[in-house]
Amino acid sequence: MRDRLLLIGYAAAVIAATSVHDPRWLAAGLVLALLAAGRDAPRLLRRTLLAMLAFSAVVSVGYVVAGLLAGNLNPEYLIRINIRVCLLTFLTSLLVARVDFLRALNFWPAASYLATLILSQVVTFRRLFDELRQAADSRRLRRLPLREGYAQSAGAAVHLFDKAERTSGEIALAMRSRGFFAPAGPDARRH
Amino acid sequence: MHVPDGFLSPQTYVPAYALAAGAWAYAARTLQRRLDETLLPRLAVLCALGFVLMSVMLPLPGGTSVHASGIGILAVVFGPWITFAAVSLVLLLQALVFGAGGITVLPVNALAMGLAGSAAACLGYRLLRRVDERAGLFAAGWLATVLPAVLVAGVLGVQPAIAHTADGQPLFFPFGLSVTLPAVVVPHLILGVGEGLLTILVVSFLRRR
Repeated sequence: MRDRLLLIGYAAAVIAATSVHDPRWLAAGLVLALLAAGRDAPRLLRRTLLAMLAFSAVVSVGYVVAGLLAGNLNPEYLIRINIRVCLLTFLTSLLVARVDFLRALNFWPAASYLATLILSQVVTFRRLFDELRQAADSRRLRRLPLREGYAQSAGAAVHLFDKAERTSGEIALAMRSRGFFAPAGPDARRH
Repeated sequence: MHVPDGFLSPQTYVPAYALAAGAWAYAARTLQRRLDETLLPRLAVLCALGFVLMSVMLPLPGGTSVHASGIGILAVVFGPWITFAAVSLVLLLQALVFGAGGITVLPVNALAMGLAGSAAACLGYRLLRRVDERAGLFAAGWLATVLPAVLVAGVLGVQPAIAHTADGQPLFFPFGLSVTLPAVVVPHLILGVGEGLLTILVVSFLRRR
């Protein structure tokens, strides 16, 4: 219940942060979010700044250059957009740190199972992809020519497709053997 | 195309969520009609595959490389609706679990990359494969890269016109279409060539066995 309430609160905060345009209110919202994060605030703020840095820096620098060239630079826009982006990204970081998504989805079993399967498979596939990349790197002394680079990327992708086909079949069999797809009988209803 | 939260106005993301909700409902119905009890594991593994395909490197001349999207490959192999569902789930996970992208840009990215990109890839492939199979595969990869870029550039570029102060100052993304279209689309015209080549190689390898 707590996780679901936090998700609803997050959605409301996101809508509020995009509906308010006064930088002072946005800054107040950011201070509140930092206070809500407590001891995690510095770590989450660092993660937030890293996540927003590239895109926000490009947009801000572009806006300053365009504004100087056109003679209509508005510092309030820069303050507003950067506080807004920081607030929204911090709220997402705070949500990720505070909410157990799998528990928040437990009112909808199919979505909960799907999320569990996806997260477990993402970890497996990422590890496999990293191993493929490291194996390829360890077997060459020079940078690959363009044609060979494409062949290597395609080979890795084909291997991942094979793995995906095998794994989905194995998971389906494992779920069937544990009665996941069986219709709920009288015993199941009693429980 | 990982636009963070804060650059799209509610006038954009609220209708985008309404549109995406309809598309997600239709995709869910299509999946339930087409697939049996393997629906959940197949979709989960496909999402993981989509997630990792987005990490596959596309080599560029000069020794550098960029990330592929894999949407053209997924669309040709699995069709547009399964690809749309998988890409949407991947984007949701990237935003909520891995902190990449954002929750307000999710429906725009899902509709542009997952739906329009995969539909264009399937259409391009079906039209051109009658002439030449490889031309069809190349078109699938290229269209799945370029069309979403055009759509995202369009959505970003209309922000100053639909959300601004009384004196005309932007409230969200500051640049108009004259900036966003060339800045976003031109690099993707080139990236699309790499994605098209990767689509030819991967789908050809898969069919050869």
